[in-house]
Amino acid sequence: MRESPSRSWLPLVLSVLSLLLIVSSEAGLLSPFESVFHYLFDPLQRFLAGFVAGLGNMFSTVRDVRELRARVEELQRQVDALEAENIQLREIKAEVETLRAQLNFVDEFPVLAYLGADVVDRAACTTYPCGEVIGFEPNPYLRYVTINVGARQGVKVGMPVVSGGPRLVGRVAEVFQRTARVQLITDRESAVAAFLQNARTTGLVVGQPDGSLLIQYIPQDQPISVGDIVLTSGLGGTLPKGLIIGQVAEVLQMDYASSQAAILRPALDFSRLEQVLVITAYEQMPSEGELPAGPSGGGQ
Amino acid sequence: MLLSLAIPLLAGVTLIQTVVLTRVSLWGARPELLLLVVLMWSVVRGVDEGVLWAFLGGLMMELFSGGPLGAITLALVVASFLSGRVLRVDLGSPVAGVMLSTLLAVSGYHLVLLLALAWTGYPVNWLDALFRVAWPSVLLNAILAPFVYRPMHWLERRTRRERFTL
Repeated sequence: MRESPSRSWLPLVLSVLSLLLIVSSEAGLLSPFESVFHYLFDPLQRFLAGFVAGLGNMFSTVRDVRELRARVEELQRQVDALEAENIQLREIKAEVETLRAQLNFVDEFPVLAYLGADVVDRAACTTYPCGEVIGFEPNPYLRYVTINVGARQGVKVGMPVVSGGPRLVGRVAEVFQRTARVQLITDRESAVAAFLQNARTTGLVVGQPDGSLLIQYIPQDQPISVGDIVLTSGLGGTLPKGLIIGQVAEVLQMDYASSQAAILRPALDFSRLEQVLVITAYEQMPSEGELPAGPSGGGQ
Repeated sequence: MLLSLAIPLLAGVTLIQTVVLTRVSLWGARPELLLLVVLMWSVVRGVDEGVLWAFLGGLMMELFSGGPLGAITLALVVASFLSGRVLRVDLGSPVAGVMLSTLLAVSGYHLVLLLALAWTGYPVNWLDALFRVAWPSVLLNAILAPFVYRPMHWLERRTRRERFTL
């Protein structure tokens, strides 16, 4: 018996074909084929994601009972504290709306002031398309997820995606008929205009290879503290204002640099992402507007 | 191996990789099941079928990726070629040989992937990428390789074609 001769040209041919794929993809020539494939393959991925989720739920039920009891008690304590805080915030909200009306603020600076409340729970799904994460990025250097809502539900490229209330997940990068690909804010190519809630100063949040976030270009004279909340600023008009990005975990201050930076702990655990909501419409901030000052400040 | 068997197998592995295994993180790395299947097939069956599996599996994986289409395919083909032809190491123990060749092939996979990303304009921080992503992945997948080698070796024996010449 003699083995068939090896085709030494095959690896080279396939490598060249792969290079041609890269070039064609960058030129946008392969989009129609991708759409067809996704139309055929996405139901399979959705089915498997649902099956895996169901299987996981079945096995974790027994183990979770004791943990859930303790969690319920803790949450009840938090609910009690939040109810009291909510009452105070309603008072402040009423006062702010009165002041805005007096200053004609809404007409001059349209802001989606109520976005946070609208996306708190599933009731928001009547307004915006809600989806589930059915797949994660296979490339270890990129941070994307696939969700099971697409063009049929009105999703378009560039739309913001949130989860767990007003916590920013990322932006829609590609749309197919029934699914969409979302670029997470932890991706290296993602850049989000942000501001520190306490210092009211702006910066730019970029993703890091290990899945953390970095806020940079903060002026040296601005105070940053560990624990500061970082929100979207809305500047540039690509994202609504006020979405939660994360919290300062470590301040990186170098005396010789013209600006300072900080490492953020994301507000979401992206490896456990399940339910998301796509924001299909929001009011844009003016491109050259300043951030409004705190409650003690006022507009012109 | 017949394409009618290889394609569903690769499709199933791709789905498992993108739906299940990408959520798994062990020491900062995740199991690359499709990569291991392709590498082990290249080892047990030969580089020709190995690179073909790499090409087909890579194409399937690309369509779930947000990166440049072709990058994963190219990296898999190169890694499969390295595993099947260049880096077959005989250390007396098949397990040790498989682990060492996988360690080197997976390194090649990550290097090609990073080069493809950099070539298409993606911002690559080489130090971070190599030490925080590539290196943990190389170690983890080298450890997992023997567990994939055995079933692929079994599959190869079941699907082996005997050829006779006169």
